[in-house]
Amino acid sequence: MISNEELLEKLANGFVVETEDDMSEDYRKLLVQTLTITADTELISIFSILDALQYVPTLNRRITELAIIQDELGHAHIAYRLLRLLGVDTDYLIYEREAKDFRNPYLMDLKLNNYAELLTLHALLDRAGYVLLGDVFHHTSYGPWKRALTKVDAEEGFHVRNGESGLRAMVKTAAGRQQVQAAVDWMFIMGLDFFGMPDHLKKRSLQLDFRLKGETNDQMRQRWMKSAVGFLDSIQIQAPVHWDSESDSYVTDFPYPCEWDTDQRRWQLDRPVTWQDVLGRFRTHGPYRREYVEILRRGRESYLALRGGGVA
Amino acid sequence: MVTEDLVWSALETVKDPEVPVSIVALGLINGIALEGSEVAIQVTFTSLGCACMDWIVDDIKAAVGALQEISSVHVDVVWNDPWTKERMTVAARNQLGKWGIQA
Repeated sequence: MISNEELLEKLANGFVVETEDDMSEDYRKLLVQTLTITADTELISIFSILDALQYVPTLNRRITELAIIQDELGHAHIAYRLLRLLGVDTDYLIYEREAKDFRNPYLMDLKLNNYAELLTLHALLDRAGYVLLGDVFHHTSYGPWKRALTKVDAEEGFHVRNGESGLRAMVKTAAGRQQVQAAVDWMFIMGLDFFGMPDHLKKRSLQLDFRLKGETNDQMRQRWMKSAVGFLDSIQIQAPVHWDSESDSYVTDFPYPCEWDTDQRRWQLDRPVTWQDVLGRFRTHGPYRREYVEILRRGRESYLALRGGGVA
Repeated sequence: MVTEDLVWSALETVKDPEVPVSIVALGLINGIALEGSEVAIQVTFTSLGCACMDWIVDDIKAAVGALQEISSVHVDVVWNDPWTKERMTVAARNQLGKWGIQA
């Protein structure tokens, strides 16, 4: 391990980190934290898709969703594999850690209620993942991750296109358009949450200093809004934000952040909250987290039992 | 008047959803038959379990159907001749390589 100062100086000269010997203690800690969030997000994201297969109208479109699940598992595998390379006990993380300690975003702990919501998940939230991982892909100083993300970047694009293609078809009927608008109304704001605390509330970011990422939370949130609103405009679906020429940025049409009503599954747009409240909601996680982690572990137990019995 | 060249040009705009490369460059089109304003297109896929067959067929119908003077687009999914990677253009193969997909 080297000191932060020594590492920062090397990074300023374009150094690419390859092994633990190249890292400072803080760098390793932040890298492990970032990879854990990524791995958990990719892994837990599959369960709401799996549950929503029941709403997918044709067999081949279900296979499309299965291909996406396969991609997400591949992405999770890449991130957990890199964690193992850093000496992290990934079996513990996946199979023994308490469900509450997974680091995925709140949205992944919910269930989707119809096909419009599944397509919106792809069109908006996979787009958020594309922005976040795209930033890592283009800027990370950690060589093994950058190389692995080439494929991830291409595959997340497929997931977004799946959402866009399906939504374009769905808005052709009045009933479909209504469902899509209802999905966007709540899921767009979940997308805003993906990028975390606004810059003015954050301390100086070591992640940026270490080039573990290249853009700030607000920069990425803006880039996502520009892309998402562009698509939604093309299908005449309203997003709860508008372009503000004075600040040269997208701003929300309501006080953000605001309260999420878990029971009614909707945002209370007239009830602003603080970011501490938002982080509190993230910490207590969503209603299906425990169920999803149980499914994951039951799958492993069944497999091990079959293998023990000489079946698998 | 619509020509086979115009139909091929329309097919060039249809991308494989998983890897955004033209389905023509990927070698998925087995043939086209144009009779007046009606066109029949033979398409194949890289595998029987292709995850995007419906999607690609829909996109073909939309792209070719948008041509003026085309009154109907019929898409036949065929498995002979079967797709092999040799059917891809060099450019398509190189593009897949850039995404880490061996071809």
